[in-house]
Amino acid sequence: MKSTREPKRPAGQKQYYRRKKVCKFCVERIDTINYKDVKLLSQFVPERAKIMPRRISGVCSQHQRRLNDAIKKARSIALLPYATE
Amino acid sequence: MRNYEIMFIVNPNATEDEIDKINAQVESIVTSGGGQIQKIEKMGKRRLAYDIDKFREGFYVLFAIAGNGDIVKEAERRLRVMDAVIRYITVRCDEEVRRFEKIRSYRQKRAARRGTHASAAPAVDSAEEAMQ
Repeated sequence: MKSTREPKRPAGQKQYYRRKKVCKFCVERIDTINYKDVKLLSQFVPERAKIMPRRISGVCSQHQRRLNDAIKKARSIALLPYATE
Repeated sequence: MRNYEIMFIVNPNATEDEIDKINAQVESIVTSGGGQIQKIEKMGKRRLAYDIDKFREGFYVLFAIAGNGDIVKEAERRLRVMDAVIRYITVRCDEEVRRFEKIRSYRQKRAARRGTHASAAPAVDSAEEAMQ
């Protein structure tokens, strides 16, 4: 019988688990990302008002693209800031 | 025919009458160009995310219209000229709505299919649970 052990790692290396990130829009089935929905968009712009990268938020590429568009539209009509101090 | 949303910000010091006057002007541009107005929404006074022309807040107005590109061109030209309007944006939204409809119909179809095999579905679920 084949064992289902974890692949061997160098001795002394700490084993830690990273929680699998999931795309918020896929999970909650949010289909339309609207530029007027400030409450939703502001979840993806931390204090500096930069757009949160996918590797941190876990958003899938299709949704990240739409999110980007929406955030940029919202910025141009002053619903979201371009930058904060 | 395409659907657009025109959103603009009016100077916060403008009176209600002035805002109504601007709205009437935009409305006349749309109707005279052969378009339809689907919605006019005064979103009220909001704090701006950043200062525009030294204003910290503004009065947001949203128009949802159906028409062609010429209407948008004309409306934007007029908004640009108006002193009271400090910012405007036009967004085409029919493509997004169509995409949304497609996703929804697909989802309904899938749900219907799952409904016909309702007796089979729980069995799969319990099998999955047993494996975990």
